[in-house]
Amino acid sequence: MNHGQSVNHEGWLAALAGELRRHGVDRDLAGHVVAEAATHLRDSGEAPLRVFGPPETYAAAVADSVGAAEPRVYRGAPGPVRLEARGITKRYRRHRVLTGVDLTVRAGEIAAVVGANGSGKSTFLRICAGLASPDRGQVRVHGTVGYCPQSGGTSDFLVPEEHFVLVGAGRGLHRDTARSAGRRQAAGLDWDPTGPTQARHLSGGTRQKLNLVLAGLGDPDVLLLDEPYQGFDRGTYLDFWHQLWDWRAAGKAIVVVTHLLNQLDRVDTVLDLSPVRQPVG
Amino acid sequence: MCRVDQERRGQWLRGVLDLCVLALLARRESYGYELAQSLNAAGVGPIQGGTLYPVLLRLQRTGLVSAQWREGTTGPARKYYRITVAGGETLRQTTADWATFSGGVGAILREVSTR
Repeated sequence: MNHGQSVNHEGWLAALAGELRRHGVDRDLAGHVVAEAATHLRDSGEAPLRVFGPPETYAAAVADSVGAAEPRVYRGAPGPVRLEARGITKRYRRHRVLTGVDLTVRAGEIAAVVGANGSGKSTFLRICAGLASPDRGQVRVHGTVGYCPQSGGTSDFLVPEEHFVLVGAGRGLHRDTARSAGRRQAAGLDWDPTGPTQARHLSGGTRQKLNLVLAGLGDPDVLLLDEPYQGFDRGTYLDFWHQLWDWRAAGKAIVVVTHLLNQLDRVDTVLDLSPVRQPVG
Repeated sequence: MCRVDQERRGQWLRGVLDLCVLALLARRESYGYELAQSLNAAGVGPIQGGTLYPVLLRLQRTGLVSAQWREGTTGPARKYYRITVAGGETLRQTTADWATFSGGVGAILREVSTR
């Protein structure tokens, strides 16, 4: 077997490990399955796609045969209204960004905000978060809010765990509680946040993981997420959606800005901010 | 073999693969790749890992085989499977059932080939 093949195997095996975790396969068992696949590939000298197929397909077959828990795309009945935006209108100078936008999100629902660049998605989310005020309209939030910006939001010279403690303190969490809550959520994104790396030295994707964990600290009732997956690889992107489904199953109200439409069948509401084309008069 | 035949063969195999694996393990303990080669050599294969290992996991979960990671006489550590007492009993019973079933199918098909 040549070196290129073995590198190829590593990528496939790593993807398999991620998919097994997402399919709820026990950690020890997943380790055995990956090791056994690696042994088989080395013995046979064949390509992993040929022998086992795509990682997600093989992981699903493994999960099925060991009776692992179903992937956690649980959908309960929606609860009380958590976020109500009515008639939100916003102008920047003479340019009208949002015109009479309405959105209602209940506990246990995910709303996706879509639209072209410049259609006001981030502005709308900032208004919902109370970080910007509308020219007209009203936002009512019933409960606590966690907000994850598209970028920024981290402190260059603090390490991830100091972020947990700092943001946790703002939400009434004890240091240790904040740290363990942060670690637990980070693990769901396949990220180990312990260690001495300051935020400015983290990769873009890892900084966004940090932002996402911070948004969820203190168990807020409403989560406002502004394309938080920039820089995520495919596996982390899937983890991110699993995190959303977990939050939904736990009764959170979630608003997520996205331009990727392939998950829209798994959300409850889609708010399209693309401007309606006015007939030329 | 054309594509349709491959599909049909796959369907047949789904019904008897666990039985074949148990029978091979009744001879002696073995590991995944070796089992795949044995099935191939017997004319039942080719069996890909994506099909074989889920069957082995199911047999292990239901207690019909046991498994252990071990260094082989040659090469690196491998996961060796061994048939259990319960697996032996299941194999005997199901082999008898299969003989009856395949005998019935064979009898029907023989009428076609001698017609």
